[in-house]
Amino acid sequence: MMTGQHGSQPIQHQFNPYSDNGGTLLGIAGEDFAILASDTRQSVDYSINTRLSHKIKAISPSLTAEFKAQNPKMIGTKNSILFGTNGFSADGDALTRQFEENWKWYVHDQNKSAMSMQSAARNVQHLLYGKRFFPYYVHTIICGLDEEGKGCLYSFDPVGSYEREQCRVGGAGASLIMPFLDNQVNFKNQYIPGTNSTERRKVDYLSLDECLKLVKDAFTSVTERHITVGDGLEIFIIDKNGVRCEYHDLKKD
Amino acid sequence: MSQQDPSTINGGIVVAMTGKDCVAIACDLRLGSQSLGVANNFEKIYQYGKVFIGFTGLATDALTLSSDLKYKHNLYKLKENRGIQPEVFANLISSTLYEKRFGPYFSTPVVAGLNEKTGEPYVAGFDCIGCIDAARDFIVAGTASDQLFGMCEALYEPNLEPEDLFETISQALLNAADRDAISGWGAAVYMITKDKVTKTYLKTRQD
Repeated sequence: MMTGQHGSQPIQHQFNPYSDNGGTLLGIAGEDFAILASDTRQSVDYSINTRLSHKIKAISPSLTAEFKAQNPKMIGTKNSILFGTNGFSADGDALTRQFEENWKWYVHDQNKSAMSMQSAARNVQHLLYGKRFFPYYVHTIICGLDEEGKGCLYSFDPVGSYEREQCRVGGAGASLIMPFLDNQVNFKNQYIPGTNSTERRKVDYLSLDECLKLVKDAFTSVTERHITVGDGLEIFIIDKNGVRCEYHDLKKD
Repeated sequence: MSQQDPSTINGGIVVAMTGKDCVAIACDLRLGSQSLGVANNFEKIYQYGKVFIGFTGLATDALTLSSDLKYKHNLYKLKENRGIQPEVFANLISSTLYEKRFGPYFSTPVVAGLNEKTGEPYVAGFDCIGCIDAARDFIVAGTASDQLFGMCEALYEPNLEPEDLFETISQALLNAADRDAISGWGAAVYMITKDKVTKTYLKTRQD
């Protein structure tokens, strides 16, 4: 083999198993509800693959005819788990399908109606860490209700490190939205007026309407400034009545 | 030491916003050497007459640039016998930066001031080779610029009174800095109105 001269090196081809599909995923846990939202754009580099991709799946026990009749707009029961992934969407889809299969076998084998949030979270950790040396390139957030009926959210890094939190943003817009959520959900840097910054504003649960406003504000803001975020906003809401999904348009430029 | 990005060695942020007959400009106070904190009193905003400029990026270049502009501002005053307007200063900065097109200062300045003739608030930002970004709302710069963009885009509204603009810019700066490991360690906010300039130090997290 010749070396040193320009153009004399053999051309090397390398397969890159990953790509970045952009987008943003956002979850907030309330007192008796949880919401998980994402934009619906899927892109690679500067190209848009689709304006309506789904990064969140509601994994739910099958709906009875009675439930459907009573709640025509609900797409899942209160035992559901909202499963969201963001990053490399092929890995996200693979992880979602794998978790859904685990969930189905679990309720079948254990003869249960659903899986608890903490069990789901631990299972997701095992799925992610199982591929420690060829990771799923995703930021994962799952939402649901815990065993007391309280809003519950777990977020994961690509290799399965996880934590239960009140709110979390993942993906391309995370660095833009996360400080906003610190400020507006956990009231960071907010003090009681007149106390000379000695008394912090007490953290309290936000209502569902307040949370939905924050989510819409966060996504319209990040859509303005980030090129891979936009097109549509899909918001999944889980509470004691079940799961429902809202869609709102975002800017398509 | 391996190759590093000069504009993120020292850390730090600057943000400027326009309001109703007022402008605000704010900075953090940290000077660092990568993860090591070196000083917590490193102010990044300088005053030139009635124009205020914040310098982010490589501290040595920011300092050099601030001195060079002080010299040029003095010459301007001697030649013209009048104060410099923020629009003019923005163009002066732009040409100063572009002179070093192929060996740039690793600093991204932010200008804030009121036009003395019209009373119009003016803010502008630059890249390190002098491209002017004269936004009508806000300008962000520094190692937490992503975080600042998110905060400003969500909190900002046009035509705020000075008191409300102060709160907005302070919250934007504080919460953005708290999500950046190399920004923070104190903060200073300048509020500029037609007949008054106030400077306020903010109480911040010290980690």
